[in-house]
Formats: sequence, C-alpha cells, structure tokens
Amino acid sequence: MALGLVLGSLLPAMALGSTAQAKDKVVFHVGILGEGVDSLNPFLGFQAPSYEMWGLTYDYLVGYSMTDMSPEPDLATKWKTSADGRTWTFTVRSGVKFSDGVPLTAKDVAYTYNRVLHGTVEQSNWLSYLTGVTSVTAPDDTTVVMKLKKPIATLPLLPIPIVPEHIWKNVSEKDIKSYAAEPSGGKPVVGSGPFRLVQGTADGSTFKFEANPDYWGGAPHLDEVIFQFYKNDDAAVQALIKGEIDFVEGITALEVKSLQGQPSITAHNGNSPGFDEIAFNAGSIDVKTGKPIGNPNPAVLDPKFRHALGYALDLPTLIKKVYQGGGLPGTTIVPPNYKAYHWEPPADQKFTFDLAKAGQLLDEAGYKKGSDGLRTLPDGSPIGTLRLAARSDSPTSLHTMDYFKQWLSDLGIKSDVSTYSSSQLTGVIYKGNFDAFQWGWYVEPDPDSMLSYMTCGQRNGSSDSWYCNKAYDKLYNKQHVSTDQTQREAEIKQMQEILYRDSPYLVTAYSSIGEAVRSDRFACLVPQPNPGGVWLEQYGVYNYIHMKPVSEASNCDSATAGGELSGAVKATSSSDSSSSTGPFLIGAGVVVVLLLVAGGITMMRRRTTVGDRE
Amino acid sequence: MTTTNESTGTVPVSARRLTRQRRVAAWKRGWAQFRTHRSGMVGLGILVFFVLVALLAPILASSQGLDVTTANGPVLGAPSGHYLLGTDENGRSVLTLLIWGSRISLFVGLLATLISMVIGTLLGLVSGYFGGWIGRITFRLTEWFLVIPFLPLAIVLASVLGRSLFNIVLVIGVTSWPGTALLIRSQTLSIKERAYVERAEAIGAGRWHQIGKHVLPNVMPMVFANTTLTVAIAILSETTLSFLGLGDPTRTSWGSMLDSAFEIGSITTGSWWYIVPPGVCVVLVVLAFTLIGQALEEVLNPRLRARS
Amino acid sequence: MSLVADPGLVSESEDVQTRTRGYASYLGLKVLGAIGSLMFMLVVNFFLFRVLPGDPARTLGRGRLTTDAQKAAFNKAYGLNQPLPEQFWTFLKNTAHGDLGISIQYRVPVSHLIWERLWPTVLLVGTSTILATVIGVYLGIRGAWKRGGRFDKISTSLSLTLYSMPEWWLGLMLIAGLGVGFWFVPGIFPTGGLHSPDVNPSSLHGILDTTWHLVLPVTTLTLAYLADYSLIMRSSLLDELGEDYLLTARAKGLRDVQVRNRHAVRNAMLPTTTIIALNIGFVVSGAITVETVFSIPGLGLLSIDALQAPDFWVLQGFFLVASAGVILANLVANLIYGWLDPRVRT
Repeated sequence: MALGLVLGSLLPAMALGSTAQAKDKVVFHVGILGEGVDSLNPFLGFQAPSYEMWGLTYDYLVGYSMTDMSPEPDLATKWKTSADGRTWTFTVRSGVKFSDGVPLTAKDVAYTYNRVLHGTVEQSNWLSYLTGVTSVTAPDDTTVVMKLKKPIATLPLLPIPIVPEHIWKNVSEKDIKSYAAEPSGGKPVVGSGPFRLVQGTADGSTFKFEANPDYWGGAPHLDEVIFQFYKNDDAAVQALIKGEIDFVEGITALEVKSLQGQPSITAHNGNSPGFDEIAFNAGSIDVKTGKPIGNPNPAVLDPKFRHALGYALDLPTLIKKVYQGGGLPGTTIVPPNYKAYHWEPPADQKFTFDLAKAGQLLDEAGYKKGSDGLRTLPDGSPIGTLRLAARSDSPTSLHTMDYFKQWLSDLGIKSDVSTYSSSQLTGVIYKGNFDAFQWGWYVEPDPDSMLSYMTCGQRNGSSDSWYCNKAYDKLYNKQHVSTDQTQREAEIKQMQEILYRDSPYLVTAYSSIGEAVRSDRFACLVPQPNPGGVWLEQYGVYNYIHMKPVSEASNCDSATAGGELSGAVKATSSSDSSSSTGPFLIGAGVVVVLLLVAGGITMMRRRTTVGDRE
Repeated sequence: MTTTNESTGTVPVSARRLTRQRRVAAWKRGWAQFRTHRSGMVGLGILVFFVLVALLAPILASSQGLDVTTANGPVLGAPSGHYLLGTDENGRSVLTLLIWGSRISLFVGLLATLISMVIGTLLGLVSGYFGGWIGRITFRLTEWFLVIPFLPLAIVLASVLGRSLFNIVLVIGVTSWPGTALLIRSQTLSIKERAYVERAEAIGAGRWHQIGKHVLPNVMPMVFANTTLTVAIAILSETTLSFLGLGDPTRTSWGSMLDSAFEIGSITTGSWWYIVPPGVCVVLVVLAFTLIGQALEEVLNPRLRARS
Repeated sequence: MSLVADPGLVSESEDVQTRTRGYASYLGLKVLGAIGSLMFMLVVNFFLFRVLPGDPARTLGRGRLTTDAQKAAFNKAYGLNQPLPEQFWTFLKNTAHGDLGISIQYRVPVSHLIWERLWPTVLLVGTSTILATVIGVYLGIRGAWKRGGRFDKISTSLSLTLYSMPEWWLGLMLIAGLGVGFWFVPGIFPTGGLHSPDVNPSSLHGILDTTWHLVLPVTTLTLAYLADYSLIMRSSLLDELGEDYLLTARAKGLRDVQVRNRHAVRNAMLPTTTIIALNIGFVVSGAITVETVFSIPGLGLLSIDALQAPDFWVLQGFFLVASAGVILANLVANLIYGWLDPRVRT
C-alpha cells in the first residue's frame, strides 16, 4: 500500500521534470511568506501582496522611479500644473489597450478617480490621495483634468489602479463590497497591466499570471508569474534551494545569512520604507471636551524627559541582537529611503548611546535621583513604574521593550513590560492607559500621510502617541498645499526636527525585508530604492517587466530614468545548490535513540509483566 | 466498568481507624505492584529527573540567562564548550532556556490538570451520585463540554482572554475536564449501588457525608491514574498552543522555544540544537506521564491486571 | 483524542433508572441530545465573540485614516450597533439560513470560504484517518494476539513515542529529513502547498501532483493518529481475550485464527469504531498545526489567518462548523454503538 503510494507519487515528479523542459516557457515562481492576498478588488484589499497583484493587473497614471520613488511617467506621459496650483492636466498615453482589446483612454482614468471621489467603500483605500480634489474630467481621450480646492503637494503621485470603465460600470455601489474581481469562466481579469491574472482567488494560496504580450511598455521577458504563499519559512526556503520556486519574499535575516553561502542563490536584506518606534503617551485627551483621559505618567508627558531617553537607547545592539542584523538604526519618521524628505540629525543633535548624557539631561529637567537611587518627578514625588507595552505577536517588540526596561533601570527609572495583542493594544492606546509602547509604521513615498499622523487633528484617529504641537501642525498644513518642492522639503525636514526634539516617538530601527532569488535562473532584478532597497513588493512592478532569464541576461534593460543599473542582480553559475541538513542528521539520530530507549523500556516492561503473571 | 481495589467490598466498616489502616495498606499494596511495572518505574525515573531539573533550575543555571538584555552569546551559535546546546537568536544559552522552560511546561501541565481534576471530579460525583434533575443537568453539561473542539475553543479563548500563562492553564483545564467527569461518574454509579453506601443511607448519614466518606475515597485511585494521563495531554496542549502563537511571550516554555525555532527557520539556518532538544524533552516528559498513567491503571484496575 | 477515551463512558448517556427500550426511542433521545448540544454551542459561540477585546472597526483601520463616520458605517454594516438580544436573534436567523456573515479580511461570505477550505482539510485528514485506522487496527490486533512478543514490544513502544510527540514537530522533522534530504536520502518530497501552482488540480497530472504533495503531511497525521488507534485496539482486544466465552471457544477446539477473527476482533472493533467516528468529528479542527507547517490552504490555516487578522466572523463560523462536526460525529458514533451493541440501550 505504502509502496504503491510512493510509486504513484513518483510519477508526477518525473512528469513535472519533462513538461518544464518541453514547453520551454519562462515561468517565474515566487514564494511569499506571511500574510496573503485579501482581495483582488483594488477597492477592497488591504495587505501588501494584494497591491502586488493589482500592480501586475492594472496600470497607474503616475509611476515611481527606481532610485528614490519620485514620480515618473506611467500611463501619463506628462503633466502640468496651473500657476495657482489648483488645476492639474495629465496627458494620457494613447494606444494602450485593456486585455479584452478595448482601448484605455483618459475616460477610464476619470471614471476610476470619480468612483473613488463619489463612492463609499472605494474611498477607504484611495480617498486620501484625492482629498481636496473637486472634479476629475476627461475632455478628450488623452487628457485628464483635475480641479482642486487648494493645491495638494502630494500630487502627481496617484497610486490608484486604473480600472476599465466598461467592466466596472456594471458593478453597482452595493455589489462592490463583495465584488471579487477574480478570473471567472476561464477568462482573465480585465486590466491593462503587464500581466493578467488567469488563476487565483483572494483567500487562496496560489496565483497565476500570464504575460500581456501587447503591453504598451513592451512585452515582459517572463511568460508567467506564479505566486505561492507559505506559512513556514523553512518550507519556502527549502523549496527555493530545491528549485521548486525561484524567489522567496519575507524571510528572516538569519535565513538570508545562511543562504548567502549558496552559489546559485543571491540573498539580501532589502531596506523597506518602514520604521519601528518606541512611542510615548504625549497627552491623551478626550478630543471632544479636551479633558485628559487615561493615566499617563506625568514624566512621559514632558518632551524633555522623552528626549533625554533618546540617549538611553543602544540602537546598534538592538539591531544586532533583536533584529539579528536585519535593519538599520533609526532616526526620524521619514526613512532615509526617501532621500529628498529624510532629515538626518546633525552630529551634535543625534542620539547616541550615552547614559551619562541621558542622566545629565534628566537632572537638568528636574528628574533628579532620590536617596533610593530612583529618579523623582520635578516636584520631588516618585516617578513610580512606567508601563511599557509590547505586542505579543512580535518577539522583536517584546525584546526591544526588555532592553528599554534595562536601560531605564540603569538611569534609575523603574518600568514594567506587559504584552498585548495588536487589537488589545489599539484599545489601550485609545484609552490612554499606557506610558510607552513599541510598534511600527510603513511610510509611503510621499511622507505626507505619515506626517499627518503626528498632527493634533489625528488624535483619537490615526495618531497613537496623542502628540500635539501647534508649530508642527502649522508646518504640516503649509507643506500640504505647497507648490514649491524645495520649500516643501525644507518644511518637512523642519517637522522631523521638531519631532526629534519633542520625541513622541523614539525611532529605533528602519526595517528590512529578507529576499532571495535563484540567480542561476533569473537576473536583472533592480532594488528599489537603488541601491539598498527591495526586489519585489516595490512601488510599481518594474522587475516583473524587466527581469530576465539568465540565458537572455547578458545585458539588462536600462531603467527608464537615470539608466544606471548598479544594483541589479547578476546571473550566477548554476552549480548545484545544496541544503545542509547534516546537523539534522544528529537531530534525527537523537530521535532514533529516543525510540530505542522507549523500545527498551517497553521490552523490559513486557518481560516483567509476563514473568510476573505466567 | 466495575473497578475497585477493595478486596472486601461488602464488609461494612464503621470504625474510622480500621478504614484508615485498610487504606494505607491498599496504597502500600498498590505501590508494591507499581514497582513491578518497570515501564512505570522508568517513567517515574524520567519524571523525577525533570522535576528535579525544574526545582533546581536556579542552581543549575542563573535566571540571568533568560534575560535578552544580558545575553552575550553569539547569535544562533552552534554548541560549544561554553554553550553546551548552542545559543538562540538573541544569544541566550539554549540549555538555560531548556532548564527554565521545564518549570513552565511542568507547571502548566500540573496546574491545568488540577483544574481539570477538580471540575471533573466534582461534576462527575454530583452527576453520578445525585439522580433527578441535578444529575441530569450536570450530565448534560458534561456532554456539551465534551463536544467542544479543543483547539478552536483555545484559539477563541486565547483571543478573548489575551495571552498569559494563566489563560493557557485555564483553557486547557476548562476543556479537558469532561473526560474525567464521565469516568468519575461511572465509578460513582457503581460504588453507589454497593451495599455499604446503601446501609449508610439507611443509618441516616447525609449525602455529602456519604460522598466524602465512602464514594470519594473509592474513586480517588482512578482519579489519580487519570491525572497522570491528563498531565501528558496538558503538556502537549501547551506546546501546541505556544506553537500557534497563543502562549505567553514573556515566559520561556518548551513550547515557546519550539515556536521561536520554527519562526527563525531552524532547518534553513541548520540550528538543530534549537528545535530538537525542546521537542525531545516534551516527548520524554509526556512519555513518562503516559507510562506512569498506564502502569497505575493496571495496578488499580484488577480486570486489566488479570489480562496477562 | 485521548488514551483514556472509553466509548462505554461516552455513550452511557442514560440514567441508570431507565429501562429497556427500542432503538427508535434510543435514536430519538440521541437526536434530541444532539440538538440540545447544538443550541448550547450556538449560545456559547455568540457570546464568546461578543466579549472579544478590541474594536473590529479600529483594528481594521490601523495604518489608514479612519474617520468616525467610517467607523460608524462599519459598525452599522455589521450590525454591531444593535442591542445585544437583537444581535443574538439576527445571529440565530442568519445561521439558520446558512449565512455566517462576511469575512472582514476577504470580503466574501464566510460560508463560501469555509466550504471552499473544507475540501483540502477533508482530503488531508480523511486520508490520514483511513490509513491510521487500517495500520493502527492491524498493529493493535497483532500486538494483542501475541502479547509480549517482539512485534508487540516494538509496535507498542513506537505507538507510545508517537503519541507523546507534538504532531507538528514530527512534521518539521519529516520536512528536515524527507523534504530536504540528508546523507544519501534525497529530499524528494515537496515541503509545502497542496499542489504545484501551475497544474490543473482536476487533471490526472494534477491529482498525481496533489498526492505527491500530500505524502509528508498525510504521513505526519497518520503517525499521529495511528498511536491512538493501535493502543485502543490493543487494549480492547486484550479485554475481549480475557472474556470467558473465548475460553469456551478455545476449549471447543477452534483454531486460534478462527477465534481471533470470529469473536474477539469483532467485539473489540466496537469501541475502536466509536473512537474513530468520534475522531472524525475533530476533522475540522484536527489539522490546524499540520496545515500551518505544510502551508496547506485548508480550514485550519483559515482559522489561523483569521486569528491573526483578527477576522471575527470567520473565527465564529469556523468554531460553529468545528463544533457542529463533533456533535454530528458524536451522534453517529452513538447510533452505531446503539445499533451494534443493544446492551447500551437498556
């Protein structure tokens, strides 16, 4: 029976080997770890892999550059702003067709944006990019005109997938809540993107895309892209080593390290535009009455106290021990990936791990050490115990707070770490019953929304630190309508400086994502931002279009802007990758020994019982 | 099932001292029989070893070794002279984690079993001893809880109650009692039928008095045998719940170690020292409890004894 | 699953006072009991999910701009603004119609999700149960018949060791061994997924490919279940072998094999059958960990994803289906037992 099973299952393995060669299709297998696709409907989905699916299926009016994610022509070939900044005119590429042959025109663009502006569920994902837009019209097939109440500085970045009007006009406002936008009846999803989804359903674990040979940007070098979602890191990485998949996304830094020895695999930790922070309760209030709520410790309400603690964080140690090397020490809420907007604190202001300096700053602010060695509030009463909250689903979160507790205790401040699930912690934050917690954000190429989370108006909304600073708000409002890019960048940097000084957040780390590719099969993947960034799950789908199988990779495509490809993955020789489970031999050995011991026990047992009774 | 180790079940005993003497003798007899079960003795040996490790943990390894902030070993270092079982992803000694983890794993197993036993014995006694609506209701309740699927309920409860050690204990305890209750109930039913309880009733002793003086002491041996098997299941459950990310993240148990090892990809990183030893410890301790439980069952159940 | 599970205890649901009655009334009583259990589960289900911490609307909004109006709309859409009794009534009504709500995460009906995810789980757990039953019962019979023999020693100690092992840990070890390969053993088995993504699962190639992918997870679950069945079969057969009538049969000169087949095995199968029927009830929840380890998109994985989201409606639906499965299997087990062994009806 078991033998038959084994023989029967050998067949497909052999069959697989032969079909792969016979068809000679270039198929790129991607393994993704962690969360899956939640919806293929771009108005509903939420999780990162869903954005990847939409990106392959649809096009965007404006794209992102590979170097720093600044705006770049996509469907729109060019755009201009009126002098008062209140009218934007986009010129839409002509000759673009949806996968069902219907031409994509400016009308589809206007339809999509209007659907967001006047829709219900459509707004949840995309309205923030169109806030302040009064009308979007398409006077002709190649022109989109956008009218605004006030200038919007985040334009022209518009990461909204353009959907075909002739399909979506049949989806009513009521139906869209559960409209799947999945392939049905053997027909792929209609879109204009470089690939079309032929197989897959939102909660599923595999998705199959076919190349769009008529793509306006030129046919991709891949014939198919197949996504497979894994829950087990080892299963995904071993599939990569064995060649079942060609790419794995979302592995740990330790796995990257162990893969770097493999000759046919190129692995790296790509800097992703996100950060982790220790956030303080900077003043929880009831937004309606303005009265304080919750029970924050008076100390954490004081910007001077919080700022002093910035010198008590040994970030390199955190990166090494807690992040296992996968990440960079953090500074401000705008990651350095966004060069134009990131403010790097000058040496004399930058936090260093200097407990003496932290102590001195605390002394100056009135938090002096009492006779018991513990610091007191400026009025002489004890600080008590700070409540540090960590997320129970993240060891990184917990261990960051463990370290923080240790450093606080070195300063003479008592603290306690407790853990909450993410949803519980959200509740605690909104009630204001905390002193500090650890969490992180993902920052979009235009930092406007991230910056907005620190404004007074976002308290009891997206703000989780309850931070409020009138000067900061003023700058935020100013940059939000700015039409002068240089001035805006200066304002944004100034805002970061304010935040750095007031320290509602102490940014601990800029996160990274572990990725690995079979570089003996595929090459020419370009990181975004280049250098240092990620290969997949980028802004845009550059790599799916421009990466090549190794046989064709003698020269890579040049990126549309700039043209330099310094960071592209190079082809490697296809020597056999081997996975070393030698150590596991020992493990298996232990198990075998265990079995023998158990066997021995039972044998002894039987001998006695048999001997006793018979 | 008609089970008792009382050889003289029909003799009414009135003198308290006599009863006690007889029970002590019964326990002694039981121990003598248990000793002949070498598998049970080996199980006991393994268990004693792990209990000693758990109790002596502060002597064997400093609790400082659990603190991420003071760990200064290499990140995921292989076993060496200094770190006999290597280090974890934070540079802590795996051996230290293993030693201290035994405390949490055993603690969870024993406490959950205690809860399960208390609820199970109480409801089993009540539903077995009392007829009428009390008996019916408690029996229905037992039946209802019996069909609650354990893992789904554990997942739901863990998200309701949050993730702490006590909640894990509670979840395991609350879901594992119905089996015990049914066992105790059937024991109680058979003992209740026996003459000496009836006689006591005729004399006019209160019902709770009867339960306390006659029924409970007679079902206790079965409860005891059942306990050891429940501990085994509870320890396995703790491991599984931790693996599913429902364990207490602030405490190190074997389950949480296995979970971390799984998360960092111990096969890929080749860190067998991180994933094999905790698994082996779980297997050994569960095996120990199972062997003891089986041996106890044979000692306490004359029908099984007669088998060979 | 437990070593002490004794079908005699489970099915003994009548009070001792009740006297002999026919199968029809026995059946009626059992069905009534099952309906009672189901009602109880519905109540538990509803209230468990109403005391969950955190505000679903808030949880959904992190990382997004969530206005109060949006939150209100969300609560209205999910009926979270109604008073509790009204919510309970709506819940009962909808559940009766098979409407388990809409998944917050995937925006599709929960019943649809569960239906879709049920099949991989049934395939995985069903195959494992069948294999485990056949192998386990065989091991149990052989072990019990030659009690204390070498075969018995080996199979019992193997069973006990497997029983003591967390099944997902066993799965990981199998991946390390057979999925990755070591020494001269090649890692021929896939390490995850239900089938290769680029095959049509309903073609012959697809079916073979699925079989290939299921080898390791099915082996894992089979080994995990097997221990239970072989130990139970062994002990109930040992029970039977001690019965007097068997001694009579032997005395009558029947050959050993005949005795084994005609009497003991048939009687000993009774409790084993019941245990298997009961375990089938746990099919729905049985594969949570193994599905996670092998990335198989079944119900177990769905529930873990829902827990992480958290997707309350999916969790609620999953819990309902899981407990309904157990109740149903319990009922079937009781009916079979009552049919086969009239003694329990008295």
